[in-house]
Amino acid sequence: MPAGRPGPAAQSARRPPRPLSSLWSPLLLCVLGVPRGGSGTHTAVISPQDPTLLIGSSLQATCSIHGDTPGATAEGLYWTLNGRRLPSELSHLLNTSTLALALANLNGSRQQSGDNLVCHARDGSILAGSCLYVGLPPEKPFNISCWSRNMKDLTCRWTPGAHGDTFLHTNYSLKYKLRWYGQDNTCEDYHTVGPHSCHIPKDLALFTPYEIWVEATNRLGSARSDVLTLDVLDVVTTDPPPDVHVSRVGGLEDQLSVRWVSPPALKDFLFQAKYQIRYRVEDSVDWKVVDDVSNQTSCRLAGLKPGTVYFVQVRCNPFGIYGSKKAGIWSEWSHPTAASTPRSERPGPGGGVCEPRGGEPSSGPVRRELKQFLGWLKKHAYCSNLSFRLYDQWRAWMQKSHKTRNQHRTRGSCPRADGARREVLPDKL
Amino acid sequence: MEDPQADSSISFLPHLEAKIRQTHNLARLLTKYAEQLLEEYVQQQGDPFGMPGFSPPRLSLAGLSGPSPSHAGLPLSERLRLDAAALGALPALLDAVRRHQAELNPRSPRLQRSLEEAARQARALGAAVETVLAALGSAARGPGPEHSATTALSTANSAASIFSAKVLGLQVCGLYGEWVNRTEGDLSQLVHGGVA
Repeated sequence: MPAGRPGPAAQSARRPPRPLSSLWSPLLLCVLGVPRGGSGTHTAVISPQDPTLLIGSSLQATCSIHGDTPGATAEGLYWTLNGRRLPSELSHLLNTSTLALALANLNGSRQQSGDNLVCHARDGSILAGSCLYVGLPPEKPFNISCWSRNMKDLTCRWTPGAHGDTFLHTNYSLKYKLRWYGQDNTCEDYHTVGPHSCHIPKDLALFTPYEIWVEATNRLGSARSDVLTLDVLDVVTTDPPPDVHVSRVGGLEDQLSVRWVSPPALKDFLFQAKYQIRYRVEDSVDWKVVDDVSNQTSCRLAGLKPGTVYFVQVRCNPFGIYGSKKAGIWSEWSHPTAASTPRSERPGPGGGVCEPRGGEPSSGPVRRELKQFLGWLKKHAYCSNLSFRLYDQWRAWMQKSHKTRNQHRTRGSCPRADGARREVLPDKL
Repeated sequence: MEDPQADSSISFLPHLEAKIRQTHNLARLLTKYAEQLLEEYVQQQGDPFGMPGFSPPRLSLAGLSGPSPSHAGLPLSERLRLDAAALGALPALLDAVRRHQAELNPRSPRLQRSLEEAARQARALGAAVETVLAALGSAARGPGPEHSATTALSTANSAASIFSAKVLGLQVCGLYGEWVNRTEGDLSQLVHGGVA
């Protein structure tokens, strides 16, 4: 009885499928073709049973009938594949009891449990079935990236091989070992941060490199990624800073003060940590990021719009932990915290900075001084060790004096201060 | 003087009726779940499973078959005994199907959870029916159904094919639905007819 000819890759498959009898408990009688019922029932067997084949390869199969009725014949039998009847020209009678089938250029399996090839009697009843597994061997996984949360664990993610879908169930196994000694270990906790990820929860060494790789295996073979070597200390991330508070700075209408706490899990190690702040107006999706906050736990946002609700978030990078020279990995952003700047007392559209009209004698020297001060401020427009107490006092005084002047001013257009730079000032110096 | 035994049996009846209604409601709920399980199962096996007219030959399952055509003609207590026996045999079969589907359809955890749930539900409903039978004075017959299924060993001469395993799983899911539906029907007679 001719057997089907699977593609060459199937013959070299490293992991032949287990016989299903090993999976079933002895409860069950599992041979199709032994139906209950009276005499005269035809049964058949398809060969090969459950073959594994490469995409594009060919298959030759047979359906051999045997029944307890004399004269049982293969005449009139036909094939279906995944419920669709196959053209009769693809099959032919080998002998009176065997119908052969030739399929060429096979497509990848439609479902992970295999394509259903079924042999039918003339009346359409099912005589036998076989499941075809048509696919590709796995390609090398790549792009492995790992991170450790607070030096306690290691989570890794990878990208499956270039083709992605092999049409066959492909098993991925993350392996790791200490670089210079130790045995191979296998990660056990998969899919923690997506379909191709694994989490190693404990027992990780520090100050010594690990080798990490991924093995992909399916019915048609296996592939192994390149090895990634890393020290856990070089890939540390941490929790977002807790207790982020945003508050007004007295009556200053364009400033908010942001304070936070170092992530407690690493609080003894974060003397070189970096922080980032981002903020946005309530009804906007555009965040503005303040980058250079160094290792302080407070900062002041300036140049904001008065009478506006702002959402603020902070994140931490545990740079330099235990002397690591690597960049570190930013934490997630903290939960958004909101606060509003005080409303502007000055009239005019949009509440922007309304500069006084030219020619008003009382504004001349103040305007010139303001321009000079802002020019000086531009050179020092980041967190630095400068005293701005006097500036705060000056600002408060400016607002009071604007308020007095506006009581006598006629209505006119005021330029909006949309282009005003937003600058970050240290909260305490 | 009042008979204390009569008093206790009178006070027992509302509890029994409540238990019967509760068990009937459970059976009705599980009938819906069984339909969903079957739909989910056929979807994962691929065509022709789930196609109209798909009718593979029924395979012999040691210790369990569907409700017979004569089931409806039996006395109610006998019907409930058969229901309990079938529900007792189903968990082991559903567990076996689940283990196999874990190999065949590893990317379908939902199906595996549904099969696990179905085994638990069958066990629960079977136990509830047995409780009702005991309260009615008609104990379920022993030995236990799971024990019967275990003792009835049948192994295939050759390795089972994957296709036949899919068919077997379909049959088990179908039997689960049939027996839960049958149990619901038998209990509804008890609910509406009252405890005689």
